[in-house]
Amino acid sequence: MKARTGYSTSLKQEFLKKWIKGIRIYSNFKKDMNILERKKAIKLSADLAIASTRNASTRWSRTLTANISKNETNKIFVEQIFSDSEVIKKEAPSRLMARSNRIASKKIWRRSHITQIKARKMGPYAVKARSIAKKLVKNRTKVLKSLVPGGENMDGISLIKETLDYIVSLRVQVDVMRRLASAAENSTRSL
Amino acid sequence: MDIAGKDTNMEPEKGNENPINYHATNMSSDWPSNDNNLIGTSIGIIPTGNSNVESFACSSALMADSSCPQIWNQPVSGQSLGYCDVNVQNIARTSDNFGPTSGGTGWIPDAMLRECVYLPTVPGMVPQSMPHFPAGSGFIERAVRFSCFSGGNFGDTMNPYRVPENLNSYSHILASTQGQHDVFASGGRNMNTTGSSKAVFLPSEYGIEGSPLKNKKTIEILPISRDEEKQGVGMLANDSNEVEFSSRGDQEELEGSPGESSGKGLGSKKRKSTEQNRELNENNRALEPSVETAKDDAEIQHKSDSGKHGKHGSQGSDLPKEEYIRVRARRGQATNSHSLAERLRREKISDRMKFLQDLVPGCSKVTGKAVMLDEIINYVQSLQRQVEFLSMKLATLNPQLTFNIEGFLTKDIIQSHIGSSSSLPFPPDMILPHPLLHQTPPGLIQPGLSNLGNSSNALRRSINSPFTAAFKESTSRGPNL
Repeated sequence: MKARTGYSTSLKQEFLKKWIKGIRIYSNFKKDMNILERKKAIKLSADLAIASTRNASTRWSRTLTANISKNETNKIFVEQIFSDSEVIKKEAPSRLMARSNRIASKKIWRRSHITQIKARKMGPYAVKARSIAKKLVKNRTKVLKSLVPGGENMDGISLIKETLDYIVSLRVQVDVMRRLASAAENSTRSL
Repeated sequence: MDIAGKDTNMEPEKGNENPINYHATNMSSDWPSNDNNLIGTSIGIIPTGNSNVESFACSSALMADSSCPQIWNQPVSGQSLGYCDVNVQNIARTSDNFGPTSGGTGWIPDAMLRECVYLPTVPGMVPQSMPHFPAGSGFIERAVRFSCFSGGNFGDTMNPYRVPENLNSYSHILASTQGQHDVFASGGRNMNTTGSSKAVFLPSEYGIEGSPLKNKKTIEILPISRDEEKQGVGMLANDSNEVEFSSRGDQEELEGSPGESSGKGLGSKKRKSTEQNRELNENNRALEPSVETAKDDAEIQHKSDSGKHGKHGSQGSDLPKEEYIRVRARRGQATNSHSLAERLRREKISDRMKFLQDLVPGCSKVTGKAVMLDEIINYVQSLQRQVEFLSMKLATLNPQLTFNIEGFLTKDIIQSHIGSSSSLPFPPDMILPHPLLHQTPPGLIQPGLSNLGNSSNALRRSINSPFTAAFKESTSRGPNL
């Protein structure tokens, strides 16, 4: 029990720390921001902070950081906050693409062949049901890939792993943000 | 006013961090008797090890209604015997399944029992050591074989998604208990922590002894699947699958006859040769007669069931062997290796989906991949939307973007009268670069215990309690947007 809560709270604290730091740096950059800019600053720092808690060990964190850094203004901001080791470029995308293409073509061949064999064995209706189920899964996997940053060319197994990690981090993010928001609310209310 | 809500919120939050800490918690809850062994052997592979534990718990529950209770009453005097127990249960179960089909298989539990006593001699055989107990290896092989048989029957009765779990659990358990069976078990993920010398050992041993037999090609996968575990399961699954294909292709050529029912036939041939192989390996001659009869029974069963079990049997047979690198290609299907690899992949996916089930609220019932994916998508979307909403809210609350945390705390502490934390200096240096105590290792592995005992950790904990206390008035969890 203690280890578990200790871990999660440490994660939250780390996130909070980085987040606040990021917000401060951002607000030092730009003095007067309208509400949208503030929101963007908050969200950016939050995303960067939560991505950096993973120390670039997961695909989604790397992608998230990379996406944020794509914007030039953000890039400076990012580099100010974090050491360069964490801002890692996405690894050799060309290699990954080639790999995934090769894998995809193999999968297509395999799938077609398996379908033939299954049609022989199970009869056409069962095959159809199965293929419908597969289509469903496939569509949803596609959606999930679009949701999870960096999930585009990942196979099913690692996609689920990344999703797991991403969900946990999102939860931490939401949790801390919510608490901060409520505390801020209470403090302003009490003023 | 929301204090009660916050309290209840705290609990699920703690519970929700569970998946990060699979190792610490699920192990203890699911396997009080066997956790030591499993932890000892698979400490590096916690998510997969944990999945083994969980599925293992399921499988042992399954075993609970076997009709050979006398096997369970064997004195279970050690951790390894605990595993032996499950193995025996497994085999007892398989013997149940054999009953109607091949008759005369009641001897199997006895043979297993006899070998069960060898297991206590092997507890020291942690994965690092080289195999010294061929008798034990024979036992495991036979256990694997019988679990294969059972896999065929499982396939008939159970949801296809369940089959891989059970067999996987068997194979992982078998793998983890016997250090020797790193020889087989490199496909198993929990062998990751073992030494690197296994790859060398296995091919040589089987190369020598396999050559007189036809099945020399059955044991070729070891280096590749070891690579698999070294480099991470997901990425390399495809590579290993590809290599498996090529090697299994040779096997098909070796064996000859086409046709669907010969899918089982090949399986039986290979089991025959496996048994021959094992006979060479075994020192325990007392088991040989049983091996012979097992072989005959296997043949009989296969011939009778060739049409009946269709895919499931061979799939079942292939899976645990696959974990042990002895990939059994199915005859009659040119895509043998592909479907094998696909089954392995599917099993991995289903393992991970189980973790996701714990994480995503409302996914506790096993509802199949599509529905679960749907839930996951909804959950991720809702979390992302919450982040957006909360950042907007914070932007409105804070025109200057100054988050004076100390200010929050003191006010809240005074407001909500949360104890004596006013004396706590909330150090603003929490904001400053602070030695980050522990970074999570890739995703899921959680050695959170490293935090404890650290002096700054004590400070953080003391910081944290007013923090959480201060935030007691919070909105409820769950999407409230």
